[in-house]
Amino acid sequence: MDLRYTADEQAFRDEARAWLTEHVPAEPLPSFDTEEGFALHREWERTLHGGGWSAVSWPVEYGGRGADYIKWLIFEEEYYRAGAPGRVNQNGIFLLGPTVQEVGTDEQKTRFLPTMASSEIVWAQAWSEPNAGSDLAAIRSKATRDGDDWILNGQKIWASRAVWADWCFGIFRTDPESQRHKGLTFILCPLDLPGITVRPIAQLDGDTGFAEIFFDDVRVPVENTLGEEGRGWYVAMATAGFERGVSLRSPARFSAAADRLVALWKERADKSDTALSDAVTQVWMEAEGYRLHTYRTVTAMIEGRPIGAEASLNKIFWSEMDVRIHELALQILGPEAERLEGPDSRWVDGFLFSLSGPIYAGTNEIQRNIIADRVLQLPKGV
Amino acid sequence: MRFAFTDDQLLFSDGLRDLLAGEFTAADLRELWESGAADAPALWRHLADMGVIGALAPEAAGGMGLGFVDAILLFEQLGYAAVPGPVIESMAVVIPALAADPELAAQIAAGEVVATAAIEGSPYVAHAAVSSVILTPEGLLRDAESVDVHGVDQGRGLATVSGGTVTPLAFDVDAAFDRGALATAAYLVGASQRMIDIAADYARQREQFGKPIGSFQAVKHLLADALLKVEFARPAVYAAAWELTAGEPSASRSVSMAKTFASDAAYRTTRSTMQVHGGIGYTWEADLQLWMKKAWALQRSYGDATFHRRRAAASILA
Repeated sequence: MDLRYTADEQAFRDEARAWLTEHVPAEPLPSFDTEEGFALHREWERTLHGGGWSAVSWPVEYGGRGADYIKWLIFEEEYYRAGAPGRVNQNGIFLLGPTVQEVGTDEQKTRFLPTMASSEIVWAQAWSEPNAGSDLAAIRSKATRDGDDWILNGQKIWASRAVWADWCFGIFRTDPESQRHKGLTFILCPLDLPGITVRPIAQLDGDTGFAEIFFDDVRVPVENTLGEEGRGWYVAMATAGFERGVSLRSPARFSAAADRLVALWKERADKSDTALSDAVTQVWMEAEGYRLHTYRTVTAMIEGRPIGAEASLNKIFWSEMDVRIHELALQILGPEAERLEGPDSRWVDGFLFSLSGPIYAGTNEIQRNIIADRVLQLPKGV
Repeated sequence: MRFAFTDDQLLFSDGLRDLLAGEFTAADLRELWESGAADAPALWRHLADMGVIGALAPEAAGGMGLGFVDAILLFEQLGYAAVPGPVIESMAVVIPALAADPELAAQIAAGEVVATAAIEGSPYVAHAAVSSVILTPEGLLRDAESVDVHGVDQGRGLATVSGGTVTPLAFDVDAAFDRGALATAAYLVGASQRMIDIAADYARQREQFGKPIGSFQAVKHLLADALLKVEFARPAVYAAAWELTAGEPSASRSVSMAKTFASDAAYRTTRSTMQVHGGIGYTWEADLQLWMKKAWALQRSYGDATFHRRRAAASILA
């Protein structure tokens, strides 16, 4: 065990910091859940890619730097410390990308990864359906084989970024006789094909950050199948494990938010309120605890010990901590916590967004079931 | 940056786990409670022979010369088995404070002398009756008279102490306190894991409504939440052990973080695991109580969660 950074890791951090200092926009970009903001964030991703920083943990040949996960965490720390923009293509770069690298063919890697790294193609996730939310295996959208094509029919919902994204990655039932986890296939599909209708859904803050996608006899070539036909559930779970695990919510985001909360406390809070100072301390320590937990997980990944259902523990921890960080900020802001404009509105927006955390990527209740079943070996329930 | 134990560290920990699984079962612990004893001398000798008691003693003092990182998993294993007697005090608090008295360190490491500590400012001293030396801020207290005060955890031998003679000893009291807090945190992590294992076992077996109660989500979620707290206490404990070993300037703060998490996790775990047991959880005959009482005692030993949260706040909010 050595929790110091090596000279090489430190040099990597310095290089990242120098680049970010020079390139991060001085003013925050508008939300990527608006048309203008989406375009500006795509532009930022191009800049990031130009510097070689859009997908640091990917192999060099696909637009990454071949950095290990420790370096990836270091980059994330610098990224959020610099106040850099949110990642508009995170579903692609952090979820789909690693899955393509794991199960994709060489042709698929060459075809999809470089444009993903550059955000020439921005990806939306199309998994949930109106009747397949927490019960994801109840998927009914189907893909029917017709020669060398799949014909897609059905409806997806809660597809993040789908309003302005270019492609989506979905799970479709390819065996009509199949039940539950079997007979599903992971298919990649452009969002501008005939037969596709994208209907924006306004989320809690009013922006259209997600959408419904309707598929009406949409034709895609079978080469767009990722992984084996009929194995879509397992391909998806590789992605989902990574999503819950470390990639989607790197600790740096929460460390930066917890530092901002402490700064807010120093500037604005009633220092005689010990309940408040205890709570702020606690949540700062939790952010640090999450960072340590992640470094431990990542060391295990680097050394070839795979992460399993423990990823569900991470997801509950960060999502509840994120809500708590924002609740405390609003408590300190007092009357200002009611305003959606002005200098403090970042906290109010952040609070609204934090509330999605315990729900998306598998609700925390589903995660608790997974922990109980797979880690604690309790008998399956309903 | 590498946040993992070495194979040697894991081997030592596994060896201790196996020894304890064989030689100190829940039935042994219960027998000790029923007999009114607060220690297990035969087990203590085994631990000394294995090098566990003297793990942190320098080799010159008959120890293994290990650092806190090497030893941290041992405290977890000791907590998993709820080993009674002053393991935390002898191993983590007293021996490393004995730079000026290596002879005594060697005797403790060899299991010939049992030592406890009274450096917390508490009116009570744990393990006083079974120890022949008590480390106090002033030095080494011997021949003191102890009166049992009937603590909640039988294996702590809680007592008041009076009289005796003190041999002055120069040592860093704050550093000794930090070591005690961190070893206690690790012990609590182990004890919490045991409670979760006991409750998960029970939930797999106990049936109601024609099904094992572990198949009900309300029961699953109680245990998942307890595990969540324990799993996030673990890396904080390990990182603090590394910082203590490396002499990092933030080590005390990290110890406080570890003890805050471990104390909170242990208490939550007692509540959740007892609840999973239902009525049986409220009985003397359920083994769970042996660990719950350990957790209730140790959550406040070497500073409770509030104490440590505020100690950490002094630098976090500064």
